[in-house]
Amino acid sequence: MKRAILVKRNDPRSDEHKNELQLLELRELAHSAGYTVVLELVQTRHPDSRYQVGRGKVEELAQAVQALNVDKVIFHNPLSTMQIYNISEICRREVIDKFQLILEIFATRATTHRSKLQVELAKLEYELPRARAIISILKKEERPGFMGLGGYENSYAQDVKNRIDRIKDELEGMERDGDILRRSRHSRGFSLVALAGYTNAGKSTLFNSLVKEDVKVQDMLFTTLVPITRSLDVEGRTVLLTDTVGFIEDLPHWMVDAFRSTLNEIFLADVVLLVVDSSEPLETIRRKLITSHETMWEQLQEVEIITVFNKAELLGQEELNERMLALGYLAPNPVAVSAKKGFCLDILKAELRSHLPKWDRVHISLPLSEEGMSMVSWLYEEGVVHNISYGDSIDIDLEARDAVINKARSFAKERASSS
Amino acid sequence: MFDIIAVDISGRHRVDGYYLMVCAAVAASVTADHLEKINQVSIRSFRSESAPDVSAVVSIMEETVAEIRFGGTIITEPGDMYNKPQWLIDSMFSGNFKYEESLSERLCMQLAHHISISARRLLLKELEI
Repeated sequence: MKRAILVKRNDPRSDEHKNELQLLELRELAHSAGYTVVLELVQTRHPDSRYQVGRGKVEELAQAVQALNVDKVIFHNPLSTMQIYNISEICRREVIDKFQLILEIFATRATTHRSKLQVELAKLEYELPRARAIISILKKEERPGFMGLGGYENSYAQDVKNRIDRIKDELEGMERDGDILRRSRHSRGFSLVALAGYTNAGKSTLFNSLVKEDVKVQDMLFTTLVPITRSLDVEGRTVLLTDTVGFIEDLPHWMVDAFRSTLNEIFLADVVLLVVDSSEPLETIRRKLITSHETMWEQLQEVEIITVFNKAELLGQEELNERMLALGYLAPNPVAVSAKKGFCLDILKAELRSHLPKWDRVHISLPLSEEGMSMVSWLYEEGVVHNISYGDSIDIDLEARDAVINKARSFAKERASSS
Repeated sequence: MFDIIAVDISGRHRVDGYYLMVCAAVAASVTADHLEKINQVSIRSFRSESAPDVSAVVSIMEETVAEIRFGGTIITEPGDMYNKPQWLIDSMFSGNFKYEESLSERLCMQLAHHISISARRLLLKELEI
Protein backbone atom coordinates (compact mmCIF):
# COMPACT_ATOMS: atom_id res chain seq x y z
CA MET A 1 0.00 0.00 0.00
CA LYS A 2 1.15 3.51 -0.77
CA ARG A 3 1.96 5.76 2.20
CA ALA A 4 0.59 9.28 2.56
CA ILE A 5 0.66 12.26 4.92
CA LEU A 6 -2.56 14.25 5.34
CA VAL A 7 -2.39 18.00 5.87
CA LYS A 8 -5.26 20.30 6.81
CA ARG A 9 -5.36 24.01 7.46
CA ASN A 10 -8.22 25.17 9.67
CA ASP A 11 -9.53 28.70 9.63
CA PRO A 12 -9.19 30.49 12.97
CA ARG A 13 -12.40 30.36 15.04
CA SER A 14 -13.93 27.71 12.73
CA ASP A 15 -16.12 24.91 14.05
CA GLU A 16 -13.80 22.36 15.72
CA HIS A 17 -16.22 19.45 15.34
CA LYS A 18 -16.69 20.17 11.64
CA ASN A 19 -12.91 20.31 11.16
CA GLU A 20 -12.55 16.90 12.82
CA LEU A 21 -15.23 15.41 10.56
CA GLN A 22 -13.57 16.84 7.47
CA LEU A 23 -10.24 15.29 8.48
CA LEU A 24 -11.99 11.97 9.12
CA GLU A 25 -13.53 12.11 5.66
CA LEU A 26 -10.15 12.89 4.08
CA ARG A 27 -8.75 9.84 5.92
CA GLU A 28 -11.55 7.67 4.50
CA LEU A 29 -10.98 9.06 1.01
CA ALA A 30 -7.25 8.28 1.26
CA HIS A 31 -8.11 4.76 2.42
CA SER A 32 -10.49 4.33 -0.54
CA ALA A 33 -7.73 5.44 -2.91
CA GLY A 34 -5.43 2.77 -1.44
CA TYR A 35 -3.20 4.87 0.83
CA THR A 36 -2.00 4.12 4.33
CA VAL A 37 -2.05 7.34 6.34
CA VAL A 38 1.19 7.56 8.34
CA LEU A 39 0.83 11.08 9.70
CA GLU A 40 -1.72 13.88 9.96
CA LEU A 41 -0.65 17.50 10.27
CA VAL A 42 -3.13 20.21 11.21
CA GLN A 43 -2.51 23.93 11.49
CA THR A 44 -4.93 26.71 12.43
CA ARG A 45 -4.15 29.96 10.64
CA HIS A 46 -5.25 32.13 7.74
CA PRO A 47 -4.18 30.77 4.33
CA ASP A 48 -0.65 31.46 3.17
CA SER A 49 -0.57 32.46 -0.50
CA ARG A 50 2.69 30.56 -1.18
CA TYR A 51 2.19 27.35 0.83
CA GLN A 52 -1.46 27.28 2.07
CA VAL A 53 -0.04 26.41 5.55
CA GLY A 54 2.85 28.31 7.15
CA ARG A 55 6.44 28.04 5.90
CA GLY A 56 7.53 26.40 9.17
CA LYS A 57 4.80 23.78 8.84
CA VAL A 58 5.95 22.94 5.30
CA GLU A 59 9.50 22.43 6.58
CA GLU A 60 8.16 20.16 9.33
CA LEU A 61 6.24 18.32 6.59
CA ALA A 62 9.42 17.96 4.49
CA GLN A 63 11.26 16.37 7.43
CA ALA A 64 8.37 13.96 8.04
CA VAL A 65 8.28 13.03 4.34
CA GLN A 66 11.97 12.06 4.48
CA ALA A 67 11.73 10.26 7.82
CA LEU A 68 8.56 8.28 7.08
CA ASN A 69 9.32 7.57 3.41
CA VAL A 70 5.89 8.57 2.10
CA ASP A 71 4.69 8.48 -1.51
CA LYS A 72 2.32 11.40 -1.47
CA VAL A 73 1.24 14.47 0.51
CA ILE A 74 -2.53 15.04 0.50
CA PHE A 75 -3.99 18.44 1.45
CA HIS A 76 -7.60 18.90 2.48
CA ASN A 77 -7.63 22.52 1.31
CA PRO A 78 -7.76 23.29 -2.42
CA LEU A 79 -4.26 24.18 -3.65
CA SER A 80 -3.27 26.60 -6.40
CA THR A 81 -0.68 25.52 -8.97
CA MET A 82 1.96 27.75 -7.38
CA GLN A 83 1.24 26.29 -3.93
CA ILE A 84 1.59 22.73 -5.28
CA TYR A 85 4.87 23.72 -6.97
CA ASN A 86 6.27 25.49 -3.89
CA ILE A 87 5.36 22.70 -1.46
CA SER A 88 6.67 19.92 -3.72
CA GLU A 89 9.90 21.87 -4.25
CA ILE A 90 10.52 21.76 -0.48
CA CYS A 91 9.13 18.28 0.23
CA ARG A 92 10.42 16.60 -2.95
CA ARG A 93 7.24 14.51 -3.13
CA GLU A 94 4.03 14.64 -5.17
CA VAL A 95 1.50 16.97 -3.54
CA ILE A 96 -2.25 16.75 -4.28
CA ASP A 97 -5.45 18.22 -2.83
CA LYS A 98 -8.80 16.62 -1.95
CA PHE A 99 -10.27 17.04 -5.44
CA GLN A 100 -7.29 15.37 -7.10
CA LEU A 101 -7.65 12.54 -4.57
CA ILE A 102 -11.32 12.12 -5.53
CA LEU A 103 -10.31 12.09 -9.20
CA GLU A 104 -7.72 9.41 -8.42
CA ILE A 105 -10.44 7.25 -6.81
CA PHE A 106 -12.78 7.84 -9.75
CA ALA A 107 -10.00 6.91 -12.20
CA THR A 108 -9.43 3.54 -10.48
CA ARG A 109 -13.18 2.78 -10.33
CA ALA A 110 -14.06 3.89 -13.88
CA THR A 111 -14.73 0.78 -15.94
CA THR A 112 -17.12 1.80 -18.71
CA HIS A 113 -16.34 4.06 -21.66
CA ARG A 114 -18.75 6.69 -20.33
CA SER A 115 -17.27 6.80 -16.84
CA LYS A 116 -13.74 6.95 -18.23
CA LEU A 117 -14.76 9.94 -20.35
CA GLN A 118 -16.41 11.59 -17.35
CA VAL A 119 -13.27 11.14 -15.24
CA GLU A 120 -11.09 12.50 -18.03
CA LEU A 121 -13.41 15.49 -18.47
CA ALA A 122 -13.31 16.23 -14.74
CA LYS A 123 -9.49 16.01 -14.79
CA LEU A 124 -9.22 18.35 -17.77
CA GLU A 125 -11.70 20.84 -16.26
CA TYR A 126 -9.55 20.83 -13.12
CA GLU A 127 -6.39 21.24 -15.18
CA LEU A 128 -7.53 23.95 -17.61
CA PRO A 129 -7.18 27.02 -15.38
CA ARG A 130 -3.84 25.63 -14.19
CA ALA A 131 -2.54 24.63 -17.64
CA ARG A 132 -0.77 27.89 -18.37
CA ALA A 133 0.90 28.05 -14.98
CA ILE A 134 1.98 24.38 -15.09
CA ILE A 135 3.65 24.80 -18.46
CA SER A 136 5.30 28.09 -17.57
CA ILE A 137 6.73 26.44 -14.41
CA LEU A 138 7.93 23.36 -16.30
CA LYS A 139 9.40 25.30 -19.21
CA LYS A 140 10.68 28.31 -17.35
CA GLU A 141 14.21 27.77 -18.60
CA GLU A 142 13.15 27.38 -22.22
CA ARG A 143 12.05 30.03 -24.67
CA PRO A 144 10.49 28.17 -27.57
CA GLY A 145 10.12 29.18 -31.17
CA PHE A 146 11.05 32.19 -33.21
CA MET A 147 8.87 34.63 -31.25
CA GLY A 148 9.73 33.14 -27.86
CA LEU A 149 7.62 33.53 -24.65
CA GLY A 150 4.30 31.83 -24.33
CA GLY A 151 4.36 29.42 -27.27
CA TYR A 152 3.98 26.29 -25.14
CA GLU A 153 1.40 27.79 -22.76
CA ASN A 154 -1.04 28.77 -25.46
CA SER A 155 -0.82 25.57 -27.46
CA TYR A 156 -1.17 23.33 -24.37
CA ALA A 157 -4.19 25.27 -23.04
CA GLN A 158 -5.74 25.09 -26.51
CA ASP A 159 -5.12 21.31 -26.65
CA VAL A 160 -6.90 20.90 -23.30
CA LYS A 161 -9.84 23.03 -24.49
CA ASN A 162 -10.16 21.02 -27.72
CA ARG A 163 -10.11 17.74 -25.85
CA ILE A 164 -12.78 19.05 -23.40
CA ASP A 165 -15.00 20.01 -26.35
CA ARG A 166 -14.61 16.59 -27.97
CA ILE A 167 -15.43 14.75 -24.72
CA LYS A 168 -18.43 17.02 -24.04
CA ASP A 169 -19.79 16.29 -27.53
CA GLU A 170 -19.45 12.56 -27.00
CA LEU A 171 -21.04 12.73 -23.53
CA GLU A 172 -23.92 14.85 -24.86
CA GLY A 173 -24.61 12.12 -27.41
CA MET A 174 -24.69 9.57 -24.59
CA GLU A 175 -26.95 11.87 -22.56
CA ARG A 176 -29.37 12.07 -25.50
CA ASP A 177 -29.35 8.26 -25.74
CA GLY A 178 -30.09 8.17 -22.00
CA ASP A 179 -32.99 10.60 -22.46
CA ILE A 180 -34.45 8.49 -25.26
CA LEU A 181 -34.11 5.36 -23.13
CA ARG A 182 -35.71 7.14 -20.16
CA ARG A 183 -38.62 8.37 -22.29
CA SER A 184 -39.17 4.95 -23.81
CA ARG A 185 -39.15 3.39 -20.34
CA HIS A 186 -41.69 6.00 -19.19
CA SER A 187 -43.92 5.42 -22.21
CA ARG A 188 -43.83 1.69 -21.51
CA GLY A 189 -45.21 2.40 -18.07
CA PHE A 190 -42.12 1.97 -15.93
CA SER A 191 -41.66 4.48 -13.13
CA LEU A 192 -38.06 5.47 -12.45
CA VAL A 193 -36.73 5.31 -8.91
CA ALA A 194 -33.19 6.42 -8.02
CA LEU A 195 -31.10 5.76 -4.94
CA ALA A 196 -29.27 8.91 -3.87
CA GLY A 197 -27.30 9.96 -0.82
CA TYR A 198 -23.93 10.69 0.65
CA THR A 199 -21.13 8.34 -0.29
CA ASN A 200 -20.94 5.17 1.86
CA ALA A 201 -24.53 5.59 3.16
CA GLY A 202 -25.37 2.03 2.09
CA LYS A 203 -27.11 2.68 -1.23
CA SER A 204 -25.67 -0.40 -2.95
CA THR A 205 -26.55 -2.62 0.04
CA LEU A 206 -30.14 -1.35 -0.09
CA PHE A 207 -30.17 -1.84 -3.87
CA ASN A 208 -29.02 -5.46 -3.45
CA SER A 209 -31.60 -6.15 -0.73
CA LEU A 210 -34.44 -4.68 -2.78
CA VAL A 211 -33.71 -6.30 -6.13
CA LYS A 212 -31.95 -9.41 -4.72
CA GLU A 213 -28.83 -8.68 -6.74
CA ASP A 214 -25.15 -8.89 -6.03
CA VAL A 215 -23.75 -5.44 -6.80
CA LYS A 216 -20.30 -4.82 -5.34
CA VAL A 217 -20.59 -3.50 -1.77
CA GLN A 218 -17.64 -2.21 0.21
CA ASP A 219 -17.13 -0.11 3.32
CA MET A 220 -15.40 2.51 1.18
CA LEU A 221 -16.23 5.82 -0.42
CA PHE A 222 -17.27 5.87 -4.08
CA THR A 223 -17.63 2.10 -4.58
CA THR A 224 -20.36 2.80 -7.15
CA LEU A 225 -19.41 5.02 -10.05
CA VAL A 226 -21.38 3.49 -12.90
CA PRO A 227 -25.17 3.59 -12.43
CA ILE A 228 -26.85 0.19 -12.40
CA THR A 229 -30.57 -0.24 -13.16
CA ARG A 230 -32.74 -3.25 -12.33
CA SER A 231 -36.49 -3.80 -12.31
CA LEU A 232 -38.28 -4.07 -8.99
CA ASP A 233 -41.83 -5.18 -8.25
CA VAL A 234 -43.51 -2.72 -5.87
CA GLU A 235 -46.87 -4.16 -4.83
CA GLY A 236 -47.80 -5.07 -8.40
CA ARG A 237 -46.18 -2.14 -10.17
CA THR A 238 -42.86 -2.59 -11.92
CA VAL A 239 -40.38 0.21 -11.31
CA LEU A 240 -36.81 0.60 -12.50
CA LEU A 241 -34.46 1.13 -9.59
CA THR A 242 -31.09 2.80 -10.25
CA ASP A 243 -28.06 2.74 -7.95
CA THR A 244 -25.96 5.89 -8.42
CA VAL A 245 -22.73 7.60 -7.43
CA GLY A 246 -22.69 9.11 -3.92
CA PHE A 247 -22.49 12.79 -3.01
CA ILE A 248 -19.65 14.43 -1.13
CA GLU A 249 -19.27 17.79 0.61
CA ASP A 250 -17.94 20.79 -1.36
CA LEU A 251 -18.13 18.93 -4.66
CA PRO A 252 -17.04 21.57 -7.17
CA HIS A 253 -19.33 22.58 -10.03
CA TRP A 254 -17.02 21.24 -12.72
CA MET A 255 -17.18 17.81 -11.14
CA VAL A 256 -21.00 17.86 -10.95
CA ASP A 257 -21.04 18.94 -14.61
CA ALA A 258 -18.65 16.14 -15.64
CA PHE A 259 -20.89 13.55 -13.99
CA ARG A 260 -24.13 15.15 -15.19
CA SER A 261 -25.18 12.22 -17.37
CA THR A 262 -24.81 9.91 -14.32
CA LEU A 263 -26.49 12.33 -11.91
CA ASN A 264 -29.36 12.78 -14.38
CA GLU A 265 -30.48 9.32 -13.27
CA ILE A 266 -31.32 11.03 -9.97
CA PHE A 267 -32.47 14.42 -11.25
CA LEU A 268 -34.94 12.95 -13.77
CA ALA A 269 -36.36 10.12 -11.65
CA ASP A 270 -39.99 9.93 -10.52
CA VAL A 271 -39.06 9.09 -6.94
CA VAL A 272 -35.72 9.52 -5.17
CA LEU A 273 -34.81 7.28 -2.24
CA LEU A 274 -32.46 9.51 -0.22
CA VAL A 275 -30.39 7.09 1.86
CA VAL A 276 -28.72 8.14 5.14
CA ASP A 277 -26.64 6.14 7.60
CA SER A 278 -28.72 6.55 10.77
CA SER A 279 -26.02 5.01 13.00
CA GLU A 280 -23.77 8.04 12.57
CA PRO A 281 -23.82 10.96 15.04
CA LEU A 282 -26.78 13.32 14.57
CA GLU A 283 -24.61 16.26 13.49
CA THR A 284 -22.89 14.12 10.83
CA ILE A 285 -26.24 12.95 9.41
CA ARG A 286 -27.45 16.56 9.34
CA ARG A 287 -24.32 17.73 7.50
CA LYS A 288 -24.61 14.91 4.96
CA LEU A 289 -28.31 15.59 4.40
CA ILE A 290 -27.54 19.28 3.78
CA THR A 291 -24.89 18.25 1.22
CA SER A 292 -27.43 15.97 -0.49
CA HIS A 293 -30.03 18.78 -0.64
CA GLU A 294 -27.37 21.16 -1.95
CA THR A 295 -26.28 18.75 -4.71
CA MET A 296 -29.84 17.97 -5.80
CA TRP A 297 -31.00 21.61 -5.58
CA GLU A 298 -31.62 23.37 -8.91
CA GLN A 299 -31.25 20.20 -11.00
CA LEU A 300 -34.09 18.34 -9.35
CA GLN A 301 -37.38 18.37 -11.26
CA GLU A 302 -40.77 17.68 -9.68
CA VAL A 303 -39.60 14.65 -7.76
CA GLU A 304 -40.97 12.88 -4.71
CA ILE A 305 -38.31 12.17 -2.09
CA ILE A 306 -38.39 9.37 0.50
CA THR A 307 -35.68 9.50 3.17
CA VAL A 308 -34.40 6.03 4.04
CA PHE A 309 -32.79 5.82 7.48
CA ASN A 310 -30.54 2.86 6.78
CA LYS A 311 -28.58 0.75 9.32
CA ALA A 312 -31.50 1.12 11.77
CA GLU A 313 -30.52 -2.19 13.44
CA LEU A 314 -27.57 -0.41 15.06
CA LEU A 315 -29.85 1.89 17.08
CA GLY A 316 -32.61 1.48 19.66
CA GLN A 317 -36.15 2.35 18.54
CA GLU A 318 -36.32 5.36 20.88
CA GLU A 319 -33.02 6.81 19.67
CA LEU A 320 -34.02 6.23 16.06
CA ASN A 321 -37.36 8.03 16.55
CA GLU A 322 -35.58 10.95 18.20
CA ARG A 323 -33.21 11.29 15.26
CA MET A 324 -35.99 11.08 12.69
CA LEU A 325 -37.90 13.77 14.57
CA ALA A 326 -34.87 16.06 14.95
CA LEU A 327 -34.04 15.78 11.25
CA GLY A 328 -37.67 16.12 10.09
CA TYR A 329 -37.03 19.47 8.41
CA LEU A 330 -34.37 17.86 6.18
CA ALA A 331 -35.79 14.38 5.74
CA PRO A 332 -39.04 14.16 3.77
CA ASN A 333 -41.19 11.00 4.22
CA PRO A 334 -38.79 9.15 6.54
CA VAL A 335 -38.68 5.34 6.68
CA ALA A 336 -36.27 3.35 8.87
CA VAL A 337 -34.86 0.14 7.39
CA SER A 338 -31.98 -2.26 7.73
CA ALA A 339 -30.76 -3.07 4.23
CA LYS A 340 -28.20 -5.54 5.57
CA LYS A 341 -30.68 -7.54 7.68
CA GLY A 342 -33.63 -6.94 5.36
CA PHE A 343 -35.81 -5.33 8.07
CA CYS A 344 -38.77 -3.11 7.16
CA LEU A 345 -38.21 -3.32 3.39
CA ASP A 346 -41.97 -3.96 3.03
CA ILE A 347 -42.74 -0.66 4.77
CA LEU A 348 -40.33 1.07 2.40
CA LYS A 349 -42.02 -0.55 -0.61
CA ALA A 350 -45.47 0.54 0.64
CA GLU A 351 -44.19 4.12 1.07
CA LEU A 352 -42.60 3.97 -2.39
CA ARG A 353 -45.87 2.68 -3.87
CA SER A 354 -47.79 5.63 -2.44
CA HIS A 355 -45.38 8.11 -4.08
CA LEU A 356 -45.28 6.57 -7.56
CA PRO A 357 -46.97 8.59 -10.34
CA LYS A 358 -50.72 8.14 -9.99
CA TRP A 359 -52.47 5.54 -12.14
CA ASP A 360 -56.25 5.64 -12.61
CA ARG A 361 -58.43 2.86 -11.24
CA VAL A 362 -61.39 1.88 -13.42
CA HIS A 363 -63.95 -0.90 -13.97
CA ILE A 364 -64.00 -2.34 -17.49
CA SER A 365 -66.19 -5.06 -19.01
CA LEU A 366 -64.64 -7.13 -21.77
CA PRO A 367 -66.40 -9.76 -23.92
CA LEU A 368 -65.85 -13.37 -22.83
CA SER A 369 -64.06 -14.46 -25.99
CA GLU A 370 -60.62 -15.54 -27.13
CA GLU A 371 -59.74 -11.93 -28.05
CA GLY A 372 -61.10 -10.75 -24.69
CA MET A 373 -58.89 -13.27 -22.87
CA SER A 374 -55.79 -12.14 -24.74
CA MET A 375 -56.65 -8.54 -23.78
CA VAL A 376 -56.91 -9.65 -20.12
CA SER A 377 -53.48 -11.25 -20.27
CA TRP A 378 -52.08 -8.01 -21.78
CA LEU A 379 -53.73 -5.99 -19.00
CA TYR A 380 -52.07 -8.24 -16.38
CA GLU A 381 -48.71 -7.36 -17.95
CA GLU A 382 -49.29 -3.61 -18.29
CA GLY A 383 -51.29 -2.72 -15.18
CA VAL A 384 -52.45 -3.97 -11.80
CA VAL A 385 -55.60 -6.12 -11.88
CA HIS A 386 -57.15 -5.76 -8.40
CA ASN A 387 -60.17 -7.96 -9.08
CA ILE A 388 -61.58 -10.01 -11.97
CA SER A 389 -64.84 -11.89 -12.33
CA TYR A 390 -66.04 -14.07 -15.18
CA GLY A 391 -69.80 -14.09 -15.99
CA ASP A 392 -71.48 -13.20 -19.26
CA SER A 393 -68.56 -10.85 -19.68
CA ILE A 394 -65.20 -10.34 -17.99
CA ASP A 395 -65.41 -7.58 -15.34
CA ILE A 396 -62.07 -6.16 -14.36
CA ASP A 397 -61.09 -3.75 -11.57
CA LEU A 398 -58.02 -2.29 -13.22
CA GLU A 399 -55.32 0.19 -12.17
CA ALA A 400 -53.16 1.38 -15.05
CA ARG A 401 -51.73 4.37 -16.86
CA ASP A 402 -53.95 6.37 -19.25
CA ALA A 403 -52.65 4.78 -22.48
CA VAL A 404 -53.51 1.25 -21.26
CA ILE A 405 -56.98 2.23 -19.95
CA ASN A 406 -57.81 3.99 -23.24
CA LYS A 407 -56.75 0.97 -25.26
CA ALA A 408 -58.82 -1.40 -23.10
CA ARG A 409 -61.87 0.92 -23.29
CA SER A 410 -61.71 1.32 -27.07
CA PHE A 411 -61.32 -2.49 -27.39
CA ALA A 412 -64.42 -3.03 -25.21
CA LYS A 413 -66.40 -0.39 -27.15
CA GLU A 414 -65.36 -1.85 -30.53
CA ARG A 415 -66.36 -5.37 -29.54
CA ALA A 416 -69.67 -4.19 -28.01
CA SER A 417 -70.67 -2.35 -31.21
CA SER A 418 -69.68 -5.25 -33.49
CA SER A 419 -71.68 -7.83 -31.51
CA MET B 1 -44.82 21.52 8.49
CA PHE B 2 -42.43 24.28 9.54
CA ASP B 3 -42.87 28.05 9.42
CA ILE B 4 -40.02 30.01 7.92
CA ILE B 5 -39.36 33.58 6.77
CA ALA B 6 -36.87 33.71 3.90
CA VAL B 7 -35.18 37.11 3.59
CA ASP B 8 -33.08 38.54 0.77
CA ILE B 9 -31.61 41.96 0.00
CA SER B 10 -30.95 43.29 -3.51
CA GLY B 11 -28.88 46.34 -4.44
CA ARG B 12 -25.88 46.10 -2.16
CA HIS B 13 -23.80 48.10 -4.61
CA ARG B 14 -23.34 51.83 -5.13
CA VAL B 15 -25.45 53.53 -7.80
CA ASP B 16 -25.24 57.31 -8.31
CA GLY B 17 -23.31 57.76 -5.11
CA TYR B 18 -25.54 55.83 -2.73
CA TYR B 19 -26.89 52.38 -1.96
CA LEU B 20 -30.54 51.77 -2.84
CA MET B 21 -31.49 48.43 -1.36
CA VAL B 22 -34.71 46.43 -1.42
CA CYS B 23 -35.33 43.76 1.19
CA ALA B 24 -37.97 41.07 0.64
CA ALA B 25 -39.27 38.71 3.32
CA VAL B 26 -41.37 35.66 2.39
CA ALA B 27 -43.24 33.92 5.19
CA ALA B 28 -44.12 30.34 4.22
CA SER B 29 -45.11 26.96 5.63
CA VAL B 30 -42.86 24.23 4.26
CA THR B 31 -42.05 20.55 4.55
CA ALA B 32 -38.53 19.25 3.93
CA ASP B 33 -38.92 19.14 0.16
CA HIS B 34 -42.08 21.15 -0.64
CA LEU B 35 -43.33 24.68 -0.25
CA GLU B 36 -46.83 24.14 1.13
CA LYS B 37 -48.15 27.71 1.52
CA ILE B 38 -46.95 31.29 1.14
CA ASN B 39 -48.41 33.12 4.14
CA GLN B 40 -47.27 36.70 3.50
CA VAL B 41 -44.70 38.75 1.58
CA SER B 42 -43.19 42.00 2.81
CA ILE B 43 -40.99 44.41 0.81
CA ARG B 44 -39.13 47.48 2.10
CA SER B 45 -36.64 49.85 0.49
CA PHE B 46 -33.59 51.33 2.24
CA ARG B 47 -31.16 54.06 1.27
CA SER B 48 -27.67 54.40 2.65
CA GLU B 49 -24.54 56.43 1.96
CA SER B 50 -22.17 53.60 2.86
CA ALA B 51 -22.00 49.86 2.20
CA PRO B 52 -24.00 47.87 4.78
CA ASP B 53 -22.00 45.89 7.34
CA VAL B 54 -23.36 42.80 9.11
CA SER B 55 -25.19 44.74 11.82
CA ALA B 56 -26.79 47.02 9.18
CA VAL B 57 -27.91 43.95 7.20
CA VAL B 58 -29.43 42.47 10.35
CA SER B 59 -31.36 45.67 11.16
CA ILE B 60 -32.63 45.97 7.55
CA MET B 61 -33.88 42.37 7.73
CA GLU B 62 -35.40 42.86 11.19
CA GLU B 63 -37.32 45.94 9.98
CA THR B 64 -38.70 44.06 6.97
CA VAL B 65 -39.62 40.98 9.00
CA ALA B 66 -41.40 43.21 11.58
CA GLU B 67 -44.17 43.75 9.01
CA ILE B 68 -44.86 40.02 8.77
CA ARG B 69 -47.80 38.88 10.88
CA PHE B 70 -46.72 35.21 10.90
CA GLY B 71 -44.00 33.65 13.03
CA GLY B 72 -41.13 31.52 11.78
CA THR B 73 -37.38 31.03 11.67
CA ILE B 74 -35.58 33.71 9.65
CA ILE B 75 -33.59 32.15 6.82
CA THR B 76 -30.89 33.71 4.63
CA GLU B 77 -28.07 32.68 2.34
CA PRO B 78 -24.65 32.60 4.06
CA GLY B 79 -23.30 35.09 1.48
CA ASP B 80 -25.81 37.75 2.60
CA MET B 81 -24.20 37.62 6.03
CA TYR B 82 -20.66 37.75 4.69
CA ASN B 83 -20.33 33.99 5.42
CA LYS B 84 -20.12 34.63 9.17
CA PRO B 85 -20.78 31.59 11.39
CA GLN B 86 -24.44 30.88 12.10
CA TRP B 87 -24.13 31.16 15.90
CA LEU B 88 -22.77 34.69 15.56
CA ILE B 89 -25.60 35.91 13.33
CA ASP B 90 -28.20 34.05 15.41
CA SER B 91 -27.11 36.05 18.45
CA MET B 92 -27.71 39.34 16.56
CA PHE B 93 -31.33 38.60 15.63
CA SER B 94 -34.19 38.96 18.12
CA GLY B 95 -35.93 35.83 16.74
CA ASN B 96 -34.68 32.43 15.59
CA PHE B 97 -32.25 32.45 12.70
CA LYS B 98 -30.50 29.90 10.48
CA TYR B 99 -28.91 29.59 7.07
CA GLU B 100 -30.80 27.85 4.24
CA GLU B 101 -30.51 24.06 4.33
CA SER B 102 -33.38 22.02 2.88
CA LEU B 103 -34.74 22.05 -0.68
CA SER B 104 -37.87 23.95 0.39
CA GLU B 105 -35.87 26.57 2.27
CA ARG B 106 -33.72 27.09 -0.83
CA LEU B 107 -36.84 27.39 -2.97
CA CYS B 108 -38.29 29.99 -0.61
CA MET B 109 -34.98 31.88 -0.69
CA GLN B 110 -35.12 31.86 -4.48
CA LEU B 111 -38.60 33.36 -4.30
CA ALA B 112 -37.44 36.13 -1.92
CA HIS B 113 -34.49 36.81 -4.21
CA HIS B 114 -36.69 37.22 -7.30
CA ILE B 115 -39.14 39.43 -5.40
CA SER B 116 -36.43 41.76 -4.08
CA ILE B 117 -34.67 42.03 -7.43
CA SER B 118 -37.92 42.71 -9.34
CA ALA B 119 -39.11 45.25 -6.77
CA ARG B 120 -35.76 47.07 -6.96
CA ARG B 121 -35.91 47.16 -10.77
CA LEU B 122 -39.39 48.65 -10.56
CA LEU B 123 -38.18 51.22 -8.05
CA LEU B 124 -35.22 52.23 -10.24
CA LYS B 125 -37.58 52.58 -13.19
CA GLU B 126 -40.01 54.76 -11.23
CA LEU B 127 -37.15 56.92 -9.93
CA GLU B 128 -35.67 57.02 -13.45
CA ILE B 129 -32.23 55.93 -12.25
